Amino acid sequence: MSDLDAYRAKAAAWLQSMAPTFGREARKGLSEADDLALGRGYQKAKFDAGYAGINWPTEYGGQGLGHLEKVTFDAEEMKHGFPSFYFGISLGMPVPVLMQFGSDKDFVKERVLKALQGEEIWCQLFSEPSGGSDLAGLRTKAEPDGNGWKINGQKVWTSWAHYSDYGVIVVRTDPNVPKHKGLTYFWVDMKAPGVTVRPIKLAGGDSHVNEVFFDDVKITDDHRMSPVGGGFAVAIATLMIERYVATDSAGFGPHLDLFVELAKDIRLNGRPAIEDGRIRQQIARNHAMRSGLDSINVRARLMMQAGMMPGPEGSLNKLVAVRSRQKLSELAIDLQGSDGFLFDEHASQKEDWASSWINAPTGRIAGGSDETLLNTIAEKVLGLPQDHRPDKGIPFNQIPA
Amino acid sequence: MTILYDEGQQAIATESRRVLEARVGKDALLPLLEIVGEYHRPFWDTAREQGWTALALPEADGGLGLGLIELGLIAHQAGRSISGAPFLTTSFGAAKAVELFGSEAQKSRWLPGLASGETIGAIAFAAGADALPHQPDVTITSDRLNGTARGVSAGLAADVAVVFANGPGMPVLALVDLAKARRTAVPSFDNSRLIADLDFTGTPAETLAVGSAAREAALHILALQAVVTAHEQTGGAEVLMEIARDYALTRRAFGQPIGAFQSVKHRIAELYGLVELARANCIHAAAREGAADFITAAAAARLSATEAYDTAARDCIQIHGGIGVTWEIGLHLHMRRARSLAIEQGSSLFWEDILVDRLAGEAA
Repeated sequence: MSDLDAYRAKAAAWLQSMAPTFGREARKGLSEADDLALGRGYQKAKFDAGYAGINWPTEYGGQGLGHLEKVTFDAEEMKHGFPSFYFGISLGMPVPVLMQFGSDKDFVKERVLKALQGEEIWCQLFSEPSGGSDLAGLRTKAEPDGNGWKINGQKVWTSWAHYSDYGVIVVRTDPNVPKHKGLTYFWVDMKAPGVTVRPIKLAGGDSHVNEVFFDDVKITDDHRMSPVGGGFAVAIATLMIERYVATDSAGFGPHLDLFVELAKDIRLNGRPAIEDGRIRQQIARNHAMRSGLDSINVRARLMMQAGMMPGPEGSLNKLVAVRSRQKLSELAIDLQGSDGFLFDEHASQKEDWASSWINAPTGRIAGGSDETLLNTIAEKVLGLPQDHRPDKGIPFNQIPA
Repeated sequence: MTILYDEGQQAIATESRRVLEARVGKDALLPLLEIVGEYHRPFWDTAREQGWTALALPEADGGLGLGLIELGLIAHQAGRSISGAPFLTTSFGAAKAVELFGSEAQKSRWLPGLASGETIGAIAFAAGADALPHQPDVTITSDRLNGTARGVSAGLAADVAVVFANGPGMPVLALVDLAKARRTAVPSFDNSRLIADLDFTGTPAETLAVGSAAREAALHILALQAVVTAHEQTGGAEVLMEIARDYALTRRAFGQPIGAFQSVKHRIAELYGLVELARANCIHAAAREGAADFITAAAAARLSATEAYDTAARDCIQIHGGIGVTWEIGLHLHMRRARSLAIEQGSSLFWEDILVDRLAGEAA
């Protein structure tokens, strides 16, 4: 057994032992507040057992292990339906970026330890009403104010802002230069005066994303995490941190086995739907697609294991998996016909077809829309030209609205 | 479990690509489209000289003792260059049938020639849409074949064929010397595949397997070939994606390279996705030879590779506009090949059923 296999086995056993307390069954019927409290307990248990900050430096309370161990643990963890998503963004991007770019090391250390133990949550304040994909076109501004800064503007689609203690934010500090060059990166206290968080109810009924308003929010200059005007580079660094996360070829929807089971149970034209050619074709196509992604992911892991950089094909995961999950979920509802109306807004999108279906559009937009991902592949992998960009090289305040 | 190619395997890929790019081009392949019964001899001479014919056969039988992974790499390059004959796959299939299911006498009679490439093999299982028919058109009684095997790739050149025949109450996998069979050329959109109907009239044949073992053996041979073909299809799809990309970078319209239009660049990015999924499935399937899930892995590779090659052929021509449909530019060589490879070793319809039978736990 390789070291990694041993690590996996140990992690799997630990996760199994946690399942009765924190897993899928334990969460059934909980209010969101109770679920979050359970999640904090689970995060603390992970910390105590040495499974929090797996690939983070030990000086910050991490385990000092590699990316492989992290991805291995995540893949095992995903099986149990633990309430870990409240901390996904927090520990995924803002806190690692704080470790990398935060200037006051004692403060950083204190924050990181609290975040790792589930006591504090961080959010990431990037997208704005005027643009999500066009990050550098953001309008929220910070103006010099005494020895510090004063922030005004609005962010949107901020996951878990309503539970967050802190956030990282990119704002415009100079509108007189081209858009990428006038941005600066800060952290903010989400409880500070002038910060207003308003949950947005999404199509599927849940409200984990928010609008966040900044009205004369004053921060000192020690909140700054980039050079003035150097915020875009840190924003990109933030987005690069989680390039090789544990992926799911089911597109974070139900496993294909569940569709096969459904097709075996349901009768169509008087015989099991699994015998219907249309259904069979979709099963086969989805399997081929998912097995391809699985193979890409295993290869990426093998490359990391061998000390190599995984290939760019890893960027296909979300693009390919989520949109096919969307279609398969539609078909699963078709298959149930008049029984397919049933909707439980608290059902898990990993297990329930209607929940998977109604939440699928979010998956195709959040974290890089399909179109943005296709552009990235075309430009960064294949070397095709950028789109026509009329705002290129023009000072931000002269871009036609 | 998928794999990373080791240094030796990477060298096989690099060297075969170098050789094929130097020796095979569309100018030699285009005229063959209009001639029935001819193939690109320099391609096959190269395959023999480079030892590709022997690559995946056991050393004891005159082979090099490598496997599906290495042959897949060659097939990938052959797909990029458009192989000039179908024998790399057809002879491999016939040789594996003899190696796995033949007697010592059959092995020593056929394998050395198949390994050197002097002998050419063919597989004749299909009856129309049925890649592995329940009622094969060819019958076998008392070691004699009767009937017609339709649309056999390499059929015009093959010396020996493995036939899936209808025996007395059960299927039989049979080995037949084609010296005495009558061949009728099938004019095709891809003539260098040397498609023929093979007519058997009391033709002597030897049995390799009978009953459910025959069906299982035939499916195994088809799956081995399907993995090789999937690599070839992926190679073809990959080169078409590159051709489309290069054209989109140089061709200008409305004052900019057409590759700056999202309708074009996204189309090419989608091809990238199809190629990488197919490649990943190919690598995985080649590494699963001998494993319990080999058939499933082969089916996934086959399905994604067929989709990748067909789509790449379609879209690469579309991106070229008018020039893409000319005879001279030769993109139709790929379009034709994408379809002939889609049919050989069973179409997507066949592999979808094979796959779902297994996923649903219905396979024997």
